[in-house]
Amino acid sequence: MKKSPSSKLRTSGPKRVNAPRNAETGARGQLSVEAQKGRFRSRIRAVMFGAFALLSGSVAAGIWGVDGKFSFWVDKVGGTETSFTIGVGPLWLGITLAFAASAVLQFVRGAAFRWRLAIGLIAPLLVFGLLARLLDGTTANLTVFLTNTLSFAIPVGIGAIAGIVAERSGFLNIAVEGKLLVGALVGSVVSSVTGIAFLGPIGGALIGALISLFLAILGIRYKVDQIIAGTVINIGAVGITSVIFQRILQPYREFNNPVNIDPISIPVLSDIPVFGPILFALSPYFYIALGLVLFFTYMIFKTRWGLRLRSSGELPSAAGTVGVDVVRLRYRAMLIAGLLAGFAGSFISLGGTGGFAPNSSAGKGFIALAAVIFGAWNPIYAFGAALTFGMASSAASLLAGLGVKFPPQILGSVPYVVTIIVVAGLIGRVRGPASAGQPYDQG
Amino acid sequence: MTLLRRIAHDLKLPLLSMLVAFIVGGVFIFLTDIEMIRGLVSNPLGAIGAGLGRVAAAYGALLRGAFGDPTTYANAFASGGDIKLWTRAVRPVVESIVASVPLIFVGLGVSVAFRTGIFNIGGAGQFAIGALGGTTAALLFGAGVTPVPIAILLIMIFGIIGGAAWAFIPGFLKARVGASEVITTIMLNSIASQLIFFIVMNSEFIQQEQRLQPVSKELSKYVDIPGILPIEALRLDIAFPIALITAAVVSWFLFRSTRGFELRTAGLNLAAAKYAGIGASSSIITAMLISGGISGLGGSLVVVGMAKQLAPGIEGSVGFTAIAIALVGRTKPSGVVATALVFGFLQQGGRLMQIETIIPIEMLLFVQALVIAFIAAPGLTMQILKNPFSGLRGRPRQAKAKVGS
Repeated sequence: MKKSPSSKLRTSGPKRVNAPRNAETGARGQLSVEAQKGRFRSRIRAVMFGAFALLSGSVAAGIWGVDGKFSFWVDKVGGTETSFTIGVGPLWLGITLAFAASAVLQFVRGAAFRWRLAIGLIAPLLVFGLLARLLDGTTANLTVFLTNTLSFAIPVGIGAIAGIVAERSGFLNIAVEGKLLVGALVGSVVSSVTGIAFLGPIGGALIGALISLFLAILGIRYKVDQIIAGTVINIGAVGITSVIFQRILQPYREFNNPVNIDPISIPVLSDIPVFGPILFALSPYFYIALGLVLFFTYMIFKTRWGLRLRSSGELPSAAGTVGVDVVRLRYRAMLIAGLLAGFAGSFISLGGTGGFAPNSSAGKGFIALAAVIFGAWNPIYAFGAALTFGMASSAASLLAGLGVKFPPQILGSVPYVVTIIVVAGLIGRVRGPASAGQPYDQG
Repeated sequence: MTLLRRIAHDLKLPLLSMLVAFIVGGVFIFLTDIEMIRGLVSNPLGAIGAGLGRVAAAYGALLRGAFGDPTTYANAFASGGDIKLWTRAVRPVVESIVASVPLIFVGLGVSVAFRTGIFNIGGAGQFAIGALGGTTAALLFGAGVTPVPIAILLIMIFGIIGGAAWAFIPGFLKARVGASEVITTIMLNSIASQLIFFIVMNSEFIQQEQRLQPVSKELSKYVDIPGILPIEALRLDIAFPIALITAAVVSWFLFRSTRGFELRTAGLNLAAAKYAGIGASSSIITAMLISGGISGLGGSLVVVGMAKQLAPGIEGSVGFTAIAIALVGRTKPSGVVATALVFGFLQQGGRLMQIETIIPIEMLLFVQALVIAFIAAPGLTMQILKNPFSGLRGRPRQAKAKVGS
């Protein structure tokens, strides 16, 4: 950034007219500082991909001939189990090839290479490879693995969309964690009291919106620092939910006995062998989450509302000048974010765990923030990140359940470490909405 | 006179905020009383009376837990100089001060970063890694390897290094690539707790001898941190005076030293600071190192002296509470110490409240959240005092006003 004046000088010479606009693809020696940085980062990425290729190649060579045993439930959950074996060596060879190909493509294509997508495609393979490597003769049930992955990824993924909508509008939303927790509590209570399954998620969403409104009033109207306001929500949520749990839900069980929202089988499709139970007999939350991802991707990037949302997060003064009511837009974005986060929270207590437990959000709101950043404020990528984090967490619990000696803390801290690497900017530039966190004075 | 007036002015908002927060907390206790709500139909007045009685009982227990029971004081007075009775009477007060020690350290640490304009919400992680450093030092140098004073000094140094190292990462990333310290410190808090868990599970050097549970060895077998009270049963050790000395040093540093002036300038206006020749990067990194070092120092002294064992979750909610303390104490070391003492008394009192009435100690987190909200939004507090519901009902009026178009 400091060097920008000099870069301006360089490009303002007489040659500028002939030089291509996008210096990255043409004109050697004419690279702008930003493009040079981009090239540097893409080289680092290429080297990292290469290092991973070497690493996984050595793993493949070391365990050639070992078999990993996996199994599926063919017809339904808990039904007939079929197992199959994969050679761990070939699996790792595949991983090696994938890394090597990424390294080469990254080096050749530079900044144009879609490395996020590459990582997203390799990550599942890598988790499988790790799993197969560590199974050590025991059998891993992939249906259980997938279910665990989803039950982690659903609240994280929807929470990430909440974070994206708020931050795109210019409100730094670190309170997702608190909203998840309160959404879980209220979802369980509403569902228990009314006995109607679908009212639980609605109750969770509404309380999420209410809390979000309070957060927005603090941050927008009273101009409280958005991080402090978010901290207020996060601490307050732990306090409120713990008190309500111990004073009401524990002594009076009828308030915490919700109608669980069970997986639904899509009639014809779920009868397909092997894939049916895995893809078409999932929690309705998952299908809704997919819908939300597509809907918000469309809304943010393809509609007028999305353009206004993004502009008020990038440069609110400019948005205000052309007539966008930034304050109202931010309030609405916060309401939407609250609805989403509260809805995501209701999954924690209704998605099969049988009610609310204190602190059951267990840091998922913070992992959602990690997914927001890793997904570069894009719902599709963020949901992909949530799925990847979910796979890591699911692999950890699966291995622990099988009695494999592998410290679960290592897989557990993957999302946090990855986020730090990403915000460190070494492997790629991620830049959030420029004005997220800044109060906006419209008067 | 002017000094008194200034103190009164400084205290007005914190005291009002605490008062309002406890009133709202009381309303919350009242409303979560199911028996009261059920009785509301048959016998409204009686139910409300009983509900109010419970709130009073809860806050009564809070006060007795924090300051001690008047009857035990009376007994102690009546007995004259009976050591046992006196010990019993003053124990709650001493324990309250013990509870405030980690809060003072982390509150000071967070304040130094705040003053430099950095939102270090990684106090919990830095405290935990400091505790890890202190544990390591105690195991390495305790049990007669070095004389006790040197062992304690090394424990403190290891704690400072641990906390500072953990704070260096976000400081460096902020200074060099502009990575938001909020995100990195949140992530590092989680990594720290996972790391502690991993180490007390897997390290033969640190985990307890039987290796059954994820806790460290008994540190009191290695180093005994000396107490400062003549009575053995009252466990207030040198960590408290060290905390006070740290506060004095921080105060001197921030308000009397050149570097402190530079840090505060950077915190007030980074552009102006740069113009005046103050390096932004070095200010950020220095502030984070000091901030993390202080939190880490607290962690090392607390784990060796008071907890006597490193266990996952040693940091508890200290990170959150420290933010509240820094805000209420207006990031002044004297204010931080005073606020940390108040919060320590509340925490100790909260334990008795939890035992006597079934109101969980997390209730205090709710009160703390309210205190932060009120302090950070003085307008909200004043509005609530004038008209309790306008803040919630009011629509953002200024939203209507347009830039002179």
